[in-house]
Amino acid sequence: MKKLLSLLLVVAVLASCAVTVAFADSDAYLGVMLTTNVMSLDTNLATDGESFEVIANCIDGLTQMDADGAAVPAIAESYDVSEDGTVYTFHLRDAKWANGADVTAYDFEFAWKRIAQEAGEYAYLLDSSVGCVKNADAIIYEGADPDTLGVEAVDAKTFVVTLEVPVSFFPSLMYFPTFYPINEEFYNSLEAGTYGTSPETFLSNGAFVLENYTPGTASLSLKRNETYWDADNVKLAGIKYQVIQNSGEALDAFNKGELNMVTVSGNQVAAAENDPKLAENLSVTGAGYMWYLSFSQTENNAQGGMLANKNLRLAISNVIDRYNLVDNYVMDGSLATFTAVPPQFAASSTTGEDFSADQDLFLDVCDYNPEAAAEYYALAKEELGQDEFTFTMIYGSNEGNEIALVAQAIKEDIEAELDGMTINLQPMTKSERLDKMQNDNYDIALTRWGPDYADPMTYLGMWITDNSNNYGFWSNAEYDQLIADCTTGAYVSDYDARWAAMLEAETIVMQEAVIAPLYTKANANLISSDVEGVQFHPVALNRVYKAASIG
Amino acid sequence: MLKYVLKRVGLAALTLLIIVFLLFWLVRIMPGNPFPSERMNDIQIANKRAELGLDNPILVQFWNYITKLLHGDFGNGTSLYYGVPIKTVLNTAVSNSFRIGGISILLGTAVGLLLGITAALNRGKFLDGFCTVFSIIGVCVPSYVFMIFLQYTFSFKIPFFPYFFDDSRFLFSSVMPALSLSLFTMSTIARFTRNEMVEVFDSDYVRLAESKGLYGSKLVRAHVLRNALIPIVTVLAPLVVDLLTGALVVEKIYGINGIGKLMVDAITGEGIDYNYVLALGILYSTLYITVMLLVDLLYGVLDPRIRVAKKRGEAA
Amino acid sequence: MASKKLSPVPAGSAAPYVPVSGDFELLGNRDLQTDTNFASQSYWKGVFVHFFKNRRAVVGLVIIAVIILLAIIGPLMNSYGYRDIIQYRNDQNRRVVAKAVPPRVPWIHQLFTGEPYDDAFADRTFIFGTDDLGRDLWTRTWHGTRVSLLVAFVTIAIDVIIGMSFGLVSGYFGGVTDNLMQRFVEIANSVPRLVIVSVLAIFMPKGMGLVIVALLLTEWIGMSKIARAEMLKIKEQEYVLASRTLGADSAHIIFREILPNTIGPIITQMMFSIPTAIFTEAFLSFVGVGIVLPQCSIGTLIEEGFNNITILPYQILPPIIVLALLMLGFNFIGDGLREALAPKLEDM
Repeated sequence: MKKLLSLLLVVAVLASCAVTVAFADSDAYLGVMLTTNVMSLDTNLATDGESFEVIANCIDGLTQMDADGAAVPAIAESYDVSEDGTVYTFHLRDAKWANGADVTAYDFEFAWKRIAQEAGEYAYLLDSSVGCVKNADAIIYEGADPDTLGVEAVDAKTFVVTLEVPVSFFPSLMYFPTFYPINEEFYNSLEAGTYGTSPETFLSNGAFVLENYTPGTASLSLKRNETYWDADNVKLAGIKYQVIQNSGEALDAFNKGELNMVTVSGNQVAAAENDPKLAENLSVTGAGYMWYLSFSQTENNAQGGMLANKNLRLAISNVIDRYNLVDNYVMDGSLATFTAVPPQFAASSTTGEDFSADQDLFLDVCDYNPEAAAEYYALAKEELGQDEFTFTMIYGSNEGNEIALVAQAIKEDIEAELDGMTINLQPMTKSERLDKMQNDNYDIALTRWGPDYADPMTYLGMWITDNSNNYGFWSNAEYDQLIADCTTGAYVSDYDARWAAMLEAETIVMQEAVIAPLYTKANANLISSDVEGVQFHPVALNRVYKAASIG
Repeated sequence: MLKYVLKRVGLAALTLLIIVFLLFWLVRIMPGNPFPSERMNDIQIANKRAELGLDNPILVQFWNYITKLLHGDFGNGTSLYYGVPIKTVLNTAVSNSFRIGGISILLGTAVGLLLGITAALNRGKFLDGFCTVFSIIGVCVPSYVFMIFLQYTFSFKIPFFPYFFDDSRFLFSSVMPALSLSLFTMSTIARFTRNEMVEVFDSDYVRLAESKGLYGSKLVRAHVLRNALIPIVTVLAPLVVDLLTGALVVEKIYGINGIGKLMVDAITGEGIDYNYVLALGILYSTLYITVMLLVDLLYGVLDPRIRVAKKRGEAA
Repeated sequence: MASKKLSPVPAGSAAPYVPVSGDFELLGNRDLQTDTNFASQSYWKGVFVHFFKNRRAVVGLVIIAVIILLAIIGPLMNSYGYRDIIQYRNDQNRRVVAKAVPPRVPWIHQLFTGEPYDDAFADRTFIFGTDDLGRDLWTRTWHGTRVSLLVAFVTIAIDVIIGMSFGLVSGYFGGVTDNLMQRFVEIANSVPRLVIVSVLAIFMPKGMGLVIVALLLTEWIGMSKIARAEMLKIKEQEYVLASRTLGADSAHIIFREILPNTIGPIITQMMFSIPTAIFTEAFLSFVGVGIVLPQCSIGTLIEEGFNNITILPYQILPPIIVLALLMLGFNFIGDGLREALAPKLEDM
């Protein structure tokens, strides 16, 4: 027995030596800047990109994103789809939780039912507008028994999902944290409300484990997970996150070598561009979300519903110089946007072409064109029988320094070109802005939307009648029908027809100027030259570190 | 004296109850709501509200809150760090802010007094002028500007102090935030000390003491400073409370998980977190009320003629 | 400590004795000496003369006068309005904006380097540079000074009218009155300003009016605490007792006898409440309940400049320097006033 023990010890020592040798170069942590706090590590409660990024570092879902954003196998080694496209059978690989337990289909079943039952912010990904998982609507919105959800763990390694209708992008949904597994036994062993609040109350099955974290912390760290099924391909020793909200500070932290990856904005981008050394480290990646103007069309607002007038909205949309906004005020490589679905996030799976690659498509109704705007404005004045308009434009003062600049630039453009129109700016917190929009108590809002999944429907689905995100309360029967056909109707199994129908829907949105798109946000990153392999995506998970290395 | 203190503590409890109710009510009518969700529909939001009991009449809600509070339970976060017991988050914040605040109070008071006394003793000379200019800069430059300046100079250009707050090197990494936070206190104390001492120096009884041959540090200690301390203690008291309860921007710049940041996150974060606003409001009020009681007691110690407890015309 | 019965009516007496004129008789014309130095001028005239004899006080007055003058005429001294974005369109029909331009005066540049600026705004003069939106900071600084001056004067008024009276009355009467008034202070001070102002914003239009109301809510508290402390210290002194024995009423004692002796700390406190109020206004404006963009104030300009402090420090300097000068001026005036209002014997 003693001999065996000493033998084991020797082996263990040797093994640990081998490990240290193998990773001698990579025991450095990657220092990464976050722009806001990580709000929650619970997939049911997390709503922000920062939280999703950290969760995705620690937990693997059924699929994961490859460098191009396509879904590739993760915990699911493979999957079968039934002939009619409504039943997905995932075959799981052998993977372990960090506490040694096996990752099983039951973990997925538990996590999915929990999402539906808790009916949180992202539960809608299961419902009939997106994932179309069977019975999800009844559970989320009517409080039906969560056991009726269309998911089943046939055995420990087989997970079956039943959908109401075929969903062409379903596998790519699976890399979103909402669909990640949670170990039921571990979860139930915790005191209520404490899951994901410390390294002890959070369980990983992914590339990294939590090393240091408390809710609301300004700095947190992750270290590599030795029990990860794909640990051989993880090169980083760990990641150290630091929350920085001041762009100047971010620039200095990078210059000092404190962090390897920071995001800069505003004048700091210009400063980095003009510095020959920094310019080499500067790269622009798409952040996904699109900023746009939302117009309230109800009678409660805008002097008795003046903005319900299409020509008035078109007039406003056509005096905004979007290139001016991105060149002079946002400055971080954001793209001036002239389509209702922003570019660079949803590519057709048949042609591979980006849905909004052609930004010139709607220039006749959405461009900087003061002459056209004057014509629209004259029409609107005539139709409304009024020459003077005063609208309030609301925006979030805590949504980035550039937003106040953008709002002021828009105000100056409108007031310079549209004679008799006054725009009063009203900053407020983001939560108050959302509150005002939800309660139909605003004229014009400077707002944004980030894609949750790689399909144009994440934007187009918002403008149907009665959608809770349709803050303008615009309503168009033809449009509603088109969207219904695409989500649950005639086009669900005909990919190209659906694609064409969505373009048709987008055309209606643009011609009616339901919204005035402004720009698609990008991030200007400074990445030290010894860092490689960090993957950037505009949708779902903005940054993925599994293939990253340093030094 | 004991009777007076007990009476004040009793009144403090009542005051606190009024404050909690006011906050409880105001936070519910202020614009913005606890679930400004972009992805939940009305049914989901209504369910969440019901779950938290926000549908009940406000007095019922208040009663439930107070009963829980009396058991030492601040409740859980509603929109900030949802579901996490507030105590766990508050503990870290309080310990960080109190420690850094404590250092800056000591620093601000000590340096402020020293500067003020030096200026008063050198009245009209260079040092006096320096003190005036220093105090003016100290109150005109916001602490966060000073913080960025310190960080830029002593951490970036001359890499001596850590660039971000580091809990494992607490004292070392507290130097810059504590210094920048103490600047306002330092300037205020210096200015008040200087002005008060100059006034006391001019008063008849100090002239008398001087004529009796008392001079130098003994004079300053025995007569001048003691008499100048009352306004100094008065201005210091609210500054102590403010420093202990943290400073938002400095905390954000240096990455400190403090009370100031927590308060602003609770109001301007994803939604208004009623429970955090209340918990922090109670913390602030309790501190403020306690400090004010201490100040009133201190008046009597500094000047035995003062008896705050006494009504006008009553016998001492 | 010796017991001092101050009540004019001895306890236990049934009714106060009312003196009649027969109780008194005239002592006759005594040879009274009047100090000519005191009698030759009225109190306020003395204050005036004293104040203007103080060189620093006059300097302070000049500084404030110049700042007020510049706040009035500064924005008119060039062709830019406070909200004018300086821009033009280039050949590609893209807009070029004079944003974040460091301070420049072309002829001085020409003088030292021998050549003009080589960018699109070579012939423009921006004494303080421009901000991130491409607006002239000289104009905006002086435009913003107007708002901040208003805030400063409102704060002084709040300090004097509300804070001082509240503190003096609370301290003078003591007992239940003091207790109630101090508990009120605790309540007023304990509700976070952001919460109460947000609620007020529901009922009031946002802007300068709301800022003033917000200042009214809490800005007087510091002053009231100082005034109360001074009152507690002074009210037990012999001259107050003397005055009361002579039958002076409370108002007379508080405002004529005690107030002049508390003037030192009160003026110091007033000086320190001004920058606090100016930054409070900036905070309120940032969260959207104060003045709205493109309006500006010294406080909001400091906050805007703060975003670029490490790479474009020139943006934050003008507002901070104006604020510091404003404070310097106020402090000099305050010192002068203090010496003039409470003259010491040797100053006579």
